[in-house]
Amino acid sequence: MRDLSKPQVMDRPRKSTQNSKAQEAGRKWVEQLEKQLEAATSQFDEALATLPVPHRRVERWKYTPVNGWWRAIGKRAQITAKQAGCEPCPIPGLDAYRLVFVNGEFDAEASDLPVYPGIVCSPLSLVPQTDQAPRGSNSLEQEDWFAALNGKFAKEGLFLRIGDGISLDRPLLVHHHSTGEGCAAFLRHDIEIGVNAEIKLIHWSTASQPSRGVVNISTKATVGSNGRFQLDKVQDEEGHIQHMAFEEIQQAQDSRVDVYTMTIRGQWVRNDASFRLDGKGAHAELNGIYLPDNTEFVDNHTTVDHRAAHCTSSEHYKGILYGKSTGVFNGKVFVRPDAQQTNAYQQNANILVSDQATMNAKPELEIYADDVKCSHGCTIGQFDEEALFYAQSRGVGVDAAKAMLVHAFIDEILDGVAVHEVRLEVNHRLAEKHQWTEWSDHLE
Amino acid sequence: MLKIKELQASIGEAQILKGLNLTINPGEVHAIMGPNGSGKSTLASVLAGREDYEVNGGGVQFNGEDLLEMDATERARSGLFLAFQYPVEIPGVSNINFMRAAVNGKREHQGLEPIKGKEFLDMVKEKAKLVELDGRLRNRSVNEGFSGGEKKRNEIFQMAMLEPNLAILDETDSGLDIDALRIVSEGVNAMRSPERSFLVITHYQRLLEYIVPDFVHVLVDGRIVRSGGKELALELEEKGYDWIKEDAVA
Ligand SMILES: Nc1ncnc2c1ncn2[C@@H]1O[C@H](COP(=O)(O)OP(=O)(O)O)[C@@H](O)[C@H]1O
Ligand SMILES: [Mg+2]
Repeated sequence: MRDLSKPQVMDRPRKSTQNSKAQEAGRKWVEQLEKQLEAATSQFDEALATLPVPHRRVERWKYTPVNGWWRAIGKRAQITAKQAGCEPCPIPGLDAYRLVFVNGEFDAEASDLPVYPGIVCSPLSLVPQTDQAPRGSNSLEQEDWFAALNGKFAKEGLFLRIGDGISLDRPLLVHHHSTGEGCAAFLRHDIEIGVNAEIKLIHWSTASQPSRGVVNISTKATVGSNGRFQLDKVQDEEGHIQHMAFEEIQQAQDSRVDVYTMTIRGQWVRNDASFRLDGKGAHAELNGIYLPDNTEFVDNHTTVDHRAAHCTSSEHYKGILYGKSTGVFNGKVFVRPDAQQTNAYQQNANILVSDQATMNAKPELEIYADDVKCSHGCTIGQFDEEALFYAQSRGVGVDAAKAMLVHAFIDEILDGVAVHEVRLEVNHRLAEKHQWTEWSDHLE
Repeated sequence: MLKIKELQASIGEAQILKGLNLTINPGEVHAIMGPNGSGKSTLASVLAGREDYEVNGGGVQFNGEDLLEMDATERARSGLFLAFQYPVEIPGVSNINFMRAAVNGKREHQGLEPIKGKEFLDMVKEKAKLVELDGRLRNRSVNEGFSGGEKKRNEIFQMAMLEPNLAILDETDSGLDIDALRIVSEGVNAMRSPERSFLVITHYQRLLEYIVPDFVHVLVDGRIVRSGGKELALELEEKGYDWIKEDAVA
């Protein structure tokens, strides 16, 4: 058995997993990026040279092809939201503070920052590095090549400090928009939520059509005891974007964190959410939906690391895969020896609408405490033909019947989304993408 | 209203319907009786448009149109209704939203606007009374966790909401206690009219004491082997199906 007293991720990559072709592509990638961006630090240079550049034999990237995306990087267009024709707030009717980033740069004019007692909220670039959470403290950055890439290049993002006992009066929206050819955007969100503090955060990513590039977002949040953090994360990128998102969340005693990851559109999306339950009685809620179509690729990797007693986690991801799309789900639950009375739940359910769609799902439970309750389940199925026929026999059209079953499937997740306007807009955009008007109309 | 001619249908390798003839005129109630496995549900499914079956002979006309050319949705919108022998559960879809989609589907077919909220709710209240379907069942997911009797009452409620020209009831009596049987039958009887026809499929004649048919047909091995008035049901009850089977072979 491994030594569990030291921080680690479960499948620490070994040098032997390096692949010379992938390493070479990775080197070119970094070179390409250096032409476009000034690095934030040189502290990751060694890691980038020695960590295996992902390829098929690296466990964490087994089903996630990264080949060739470095070719998408060229020159970055400096552009504002207004110039890009991008609505600063993509959610109609939402009353929220917001930070808008375009191609990785902060757009002050499109933003509306909170000025609120007990809260520090600013673009990361305006905060001295000495005040930021130290780079490399994020364990993924030491283990994963792409996370290290973020460590090296990300200079911009959200810097947020919520003082003890403070809760912001409105949600905070972080909107990133990609546009043009060849842009590489690195964002780093650095968040500390105090004792008894509370925040609702929305991460919304868009890209214009056509566009081509890579987006790499790392979110690191610590939540103080009895704190509450709700994150609604929406990915709706047209064009041809490689979107990589890392979340690393650390929870103190009795804190509660809810993350909803909703992938509406995206040519290539990888989410890597990692929760560390450090304090007794903490609760983590991780939920997600993904509905890829055509040749879209969506990957959700999650890690829940139970390190203290009496913690609970509940994880529920649901996918509907159309066309020739591919989905990946990998859910790790880790219960350490001290984490007695853990209650961990994990569920991943999928519907393959087309016989050309593919889903790779894998739960991984490692349990080192004896008094725990862990359950997990994974299903991959088709539309319920009986239910479809039943609806049709009542005069419901086949498309509306399918939309009805889709809603029955995903609403269970969407019902828990923190911000109501987000839920409505997600529904609206999904209906638009999949042409569900007939059934959605009944809901309004 | 409905003209079935020499209908043949198969599923997989099995030929189930082997040349079935039946004509139903407006306002008539026909009963089909027959032993288990004789093809009663197959007939109902083929008429409703279930695609698992292959029709490999004969034809069906419904209100002068070729029924077999339409998909299940079109058949329902043109006024055909099937009360399922085994109603389907749809978790996550409320009974009421389900019916609203159904009613609006039919209205679309008739060139009408979607139904207004209040009008719809009034209609639900009125029709639910017919089969004593309480509010709790209306708001729950379609058939989920319903008892056998509640499922069958829900079928008749749906029929009442959709006001079909032709309703096929597939063993609506199975799994019903005497009270539920009475409620369901009264619901059906209240809907009888000179324009509306019924095809009542049953294994036992008990149901036909409540829903009195104009004609009774006996289905054996994919064919109607005998037709008569309501007395035929009583005769079957007395003598069993074997008598007719032997008769049919002879
Ligand atoms: N999917 C199937 N594949 C093969 N045979 C089937 C299938 N479904 C039903 N059958 C057969 O078709 C025959 C008629 O079934 P059914 O129409 O349900 O009869 P009934 O309703 O009169 O009891 C039975 O012999 C049954 O076994
Ligand atoms: Mg049957």
